[in-house]
Amino acid sequence: MHMNIIEIENLSHRFPDGTLGIDGINLTIQEGTFVVISGQNGSGKTTLLRHLNGLLLPDRGTVRLSGVSVSKDLVKARQIVGMVFQDSDSQIIGETVYDDVAFGPENLCLDRSEIKRRVYDALKAVGLTGLAEQRPHLLSGGEKRRLAIAGVLSMKPRVIVFDEPFSNLDYPGIRQLLEQVLSLHKAGRTIVVATHELEKVITHADHLVIMKDGTVVRDGLPDEMVKGVEAFGVREPYNSRPGMEIRSWLN
Amino acid sequence: MAELTAFRFRTGASLLHKLDVRFKLGFLVLISLAGLKAAPLALCVITFVLIAVIIDTRLPIKVILKELRYFLILLLFVFIARILTTPGSTLIQIMAVSVTREGIYDGSLVCWRLVIIITLGLLFVSTTRTSEIKAAVEWLLIPFPFFQGKRVATMMSLVMRFMPLILDQAKETADAQRARCVENRKNPLYRLRKFAIPVIRRIFESADKLAVAMEARCYSENRTDPWLSSGLKDWVALFVVICLCAMIILI
Ligand SMILES: Nc1ncnc2c1ncn2[C@@H]1O[C@H](COP(=O)(O)OP(=O)(O)OP(=O)(O)O)[C@@H](O)[C@H]1O
Ligand SMILES: [Mg+2]
Repeated sequence: MHMNIIEIENLSHRFPDGTLGIDGINLTIQEGTFVVISGQNGSGKTTLLRHLNGLLLPDRGTVRLSGVSVSKDLVKARQIVGMVFQDSDSQIIGETVYDDVAFGPENLCLDRSEIKRRVYDALKAVGLTGLAEQRPHLLSGGEKRRLAIAGVLSMKPRVIVFDEPFSNLDYPGIRQLLEQVLSLHKAGRTIVVATHELEKVITHADHLVIMKDGTVVRDGLPDEMVKGVEAFGVREPYNSRPGMEIRSWLN
Repeated sequence: MAELTAFRFRTGASLLHKLDVRFKLGFLVLISLAGLKAAPLALCVITFVLIAVIIDTRLPIKVILKELRYFLILLLFVFIARILTTPGSTLIQIMAVSVTREGIYDGSLVCWRLVIIITLGLLFVSTTRTSEIKAAVEWLLIPFPFFQGKRVATMMSLVMRFMPLILDQAKETADAQRARCVENRKNPLYRLRKFAIPVIRRIFESADKLAVAMEARCYSENRTDPWLSSGLKDWVALFVVICLCAMIILI
């Protein structure tokens, strides 16, 4: 029933200075699932994510998006996999919110009317319609994060990847972002979230991947795995401890 | 603190916002050149026109003046230098230096012209998106096949994009160093070195992040550019500007 949208086979990447970023990763992600990738600092989460849209290319192994190798068509890969980075400030490109969201579609050489439609759809989806003419640098932290999501949505990706999406957000900001992510998931997109703050997303995930030292050490259903995560340097969600039911951050 | 730059685009719906960039660029050049030759009466005319345009574009004059205060100080120096170095009939004699009537006249004229040119630039930048300037530069470079118009234009728009970022980071670094009492160090070379190195490193780091974010959104030089369209009002404006310039030169 589900098809594999992402297939990673024996993927390794060594940085120019000799550091082995990731080593021999095998992973498949099904279309429409909500995947959480966790692991301590330096475990290789960011390095893995950057292979999904060809920002980094493998030294060994392959990454395929619905059967097609990423390195074969980078533009296509970047269109399929939208990436929201940790540092929202450095991904703002346009001078106004509108221009920033239009940046992606402009690169795809779409025509003006289509771009306009996509920009307004994306802004509506993240609730920033009223701020279209605002300068991005003046937005709040949460709004900047949502702007980054809109910038990716306007390219109509099938997969959206979030690298540490909760960093620098306050409690309402986190809840709002989480709702946003869930509604994108409900709309049928595949969601991949890399975070070490498991408790914020774990109740909503279908698939949990734990990384350590550049390798995947656990891969499976969250409920079954959440107990053992502390062995890999990830804090166990506090309410998964005995006698407590894991609750969503949303209620 | 990205808002602390006077020279940036401000959204609006004034006449200047609606004019075609290429025409505006032409007006900028024409009026600046005419202004260099202008006599006081002509300067008055230009000043009145500029004040009317500023009111129409609703520029926040108070804020801008505050941001340009260093420029105003520079202007004062130019004025004083002119007063003291222009020979002529002496008004006041203070020891060896004399303030001359011609000096005051000359100094005011020079400063007046500088203010007009700065105001022109400010009006142009405030009402034109970087992407439009970029498109105009590309258009201007079409007749010169050995210039890679798209590349030059991209470079320019990136520089513009980076200006506020660089200023921000310089300011942040300066604040952080002041918080650690760098002012106790009297040696300016020491302070310059301790200031410049981190600022430059941070600029490179954010340039790198921005480049990755642009790549993730399929950046290419071949993209949908803004529509450059000229209409009746552009030609009417051109006629008015040419009349104005003729008047300036002839007065
Ligand atoms: N550009 C680079 N050059 C050299 N080594 C790098 C580079 N980027 C990352 N590394 C190294 O690769 C390893 C994996 O880093 P990565 O950033 O993928 O980890 P991470 O799981 O995302 O960590 P964090 O939770 O801190 O974001 C680390 O040991 C890191 O030092
Ligand atoms: Mg990381």
